[in-house]
Amino acid sequence: MAALSELTQALMDLRKEDVISAVEDLLKKQTPPLEIVKALNEGMIKVGDRFAAGDYFISELIYSGHIMKDAMIRLDPLFEQTGAGDAGEKVVIGTVQGDIHDIGKNIVTMLIKNAGFNVIDLGVDVSAERFVASLKETGAQALALSCLLNVAIPAMKNVVEALRAAGIRDKVKVIVGGQPIDEEVCKYVGADYYGTDAPAGLRICRQIYGAG
Amino acid sequence: MSDQVAQLFEERLARYQATIALEPTDRMIVAGSGSNYFAEIYAGYSRQEIMYDMNKWIAAESKFAEDFPEIDLLRAGRIWGPMFESVGFKLYKLPGRDISLDTDFQFVEGEWMKADEYDVLINNPVEFMMEYRLPRVLGEFKEKGSVRSYMAFLKGGMAFALMGQLMREKALNLEKKYGIPQPFQGAMLTPFDALADGYRGLQGIMIDLFERPDKVLAACEALIPDLVNCAVAVADPLKRYPIFMPLHRGNHPFLSPRQFETFYWPSLYKVISLLIEAGYTVRAYLEGDWTPNWHHWNKFPKGKILCDVDNKADIAKAKKEIGGTVCLAGGIPDRMFIFGTPEEIRARVKELCETAGKDGGLILNGGCAIPYLTKPENFRAFIDATLEYGRYDDTIKPKLKKPPATPAGGPVLGHPPRVITPWEVRLQELGGVMGDEKMIKDVWEMLERRAFVWLHFWDW
Repeated sequence: MAALSELTQALMDLRKEDVISAVEDLLKKQTPPLEIVKALNEGMIKVGDRFAAGDYFISELIYSGHIMKDAMIRLDPLFEQTGAGDAGEKVVIGTVQGDIHDIGKNIVTMLIKNAGFNVIDLGVDVSAERFVASLKETGAQALALSCLLNVAIPAMKNVVEALRAAGIRDKVKVIVGGQPIDEEVCKYVGADYYGTDAPAGLRICRQIYGAG
Repeated sequence: MSDQVAQLFEERLARYQATIALEPTDRMIVAGSGSNYFAEIYAGYSRQEIMYDMNKWIAAESKFAEDFPEIDLLRAGRIWGPMFESVGFKLYKLPGRDISLDTDFQFVEGEWMKADEYDVLINNPVEFMMEYRLPRVLGEFKEKGSVRSYMAFLKGGMAFALMGQLMREKALNLEKKYGIPQPFQGAMLTPFDALADGYRGLQGIMIDLFERPDKVLAACEALIPDLVNCAVAVADPLKRYPIFMPLHRGNHPFLSPRQFETFYWPSLYKVISLLIEAGYTVRAYLEGDWTPNWHHWNKFPKGKILCDVDNKADIAKAKKEIGGTVCLAGGIPDRMFIFGTPEEIRARVKELCETAGKDGGLILNGGCAIPYLTKPENFRAFIDATLEYGRYDDTIKPKLKKPPATPAGGPVLGHPPRVITPWEVRLQELGGVMGDEKMIKDVWEMLERRAFVWLHFWDW
């Protein structure tokens, strides 16, 4: 449907007014809301691709999220509470204890959510116990730990040790990311993967779940 | 102070000034960090103790200066908790209060200014502060006009004056007892960062770039004179030390190159140019990765700016691309201080001395700081290796720079430091004065100007 692809394109190009009028137009024409959401998601994935390719920046990523949110205000009431948003492979994510920074974590969350993962975002200053509890509860096989401060590195190590103590270390792949993270820190922490930028976080999640 | 300590202080300061000016020196600066977090906790005090107890803060710096007497600069610790307590400042989580006492204090980003408040910020900054922003960021000012809100302003003013005194005492302790200068004095945010960090928050500012770009530009422009005047008000009156500017959103990949050039750079260029024209130097932290944007720094006059390069960027590349214009600091990854060995530190220092630092203009440092979790033996190796490999020519003795005259009319022509109630208004209320008007006017304006600086103190 041409109108749906136009909607995708408008979101990719960050044309907010066009996105909103296209959504309203499609709704008037009785297009199933799910189709509209799919087209929007497609646009968000393309925005993520542009970001990964270095053509878009955080400003554009955040603005695309803002447009999406505006569009969803019109669509959300049309869906019943089916928990449809919970589909997809699960990734637990959070900023580790002692660190309240969330910009990096939020960008990764946005990228992997757009790509279809079911992201369980525990927020900031998250204790090792909360990570363990969430992994047990959700059965997620991927855990993404974020930090900005290098004093939070030991907290990352604590999480990995807590997974071991809880007997679930071999069931979960641990990704670390954030300003102070590199290969050596990854080794020190005992994580499986590290990412030096947000697109790397998405690549690794796909790799863990064997999706490319 | 003994003559020897005074001489040591002068030598160190002259070496620091010459290094920033990209002039020849006898050797590299030893541990020339602007922010030495390791020094803050080395003496064994918690983060909370350093932040709340000035005596412990001074004791921690003294202990550090005694155990590492070779260091050329020292500023340990950054903020004084009681200042924040006085008004219930909400932009920080503090150790021992909101977070565990051994965690760093942390900035709380939020939308402290609404999208429809640009015009009032631009046209009436005092109204903007008093009516909109301060009631949101100062918890004690939440109910304007309440007894508690009056007391908050009183306590906040007293804390501000006390903090100035204590900071002076702290700097004098290092100067007079150990001959150690400060890496900078006075701090400011560039207009875009003030708007992004302290006013609109990340989400807000990023949306504004698309939806109200003209307002963002007008606000950055409007903030220039006030931010410059406020920075100069707390800078070193002798202009010996640079003014500190931590730079945030110019960091790649927050803004596209076009957005950087449109929104971030013009006001940054203007504020730094004004400070340079007024006789100051600047120490800017290029936090995060500035690689795609740092070529702009070549537009500044040579030898007036020191840029700290963060862990994410390559110091050798920085040296090649902007090292002819600005002095640089960095080169040693934080993780090497934390996880590395003295041998690794030595090897890295040697390599930097033989490459990026071989012709001067480089201060060895971690990524904008010496990290908290630095191993003492690594810091020792850092000092020893700098002294061993960082030698240029022992016969060179840099001379102290003479303080440039303050330009008439202040740093920003046509924009004297702002007052809230002009003297003329007060004079009219008094219906004239009996004696020397100037004597009263000067005091009135001095306090008014300080009060305005106080309003901007809460920007970040």
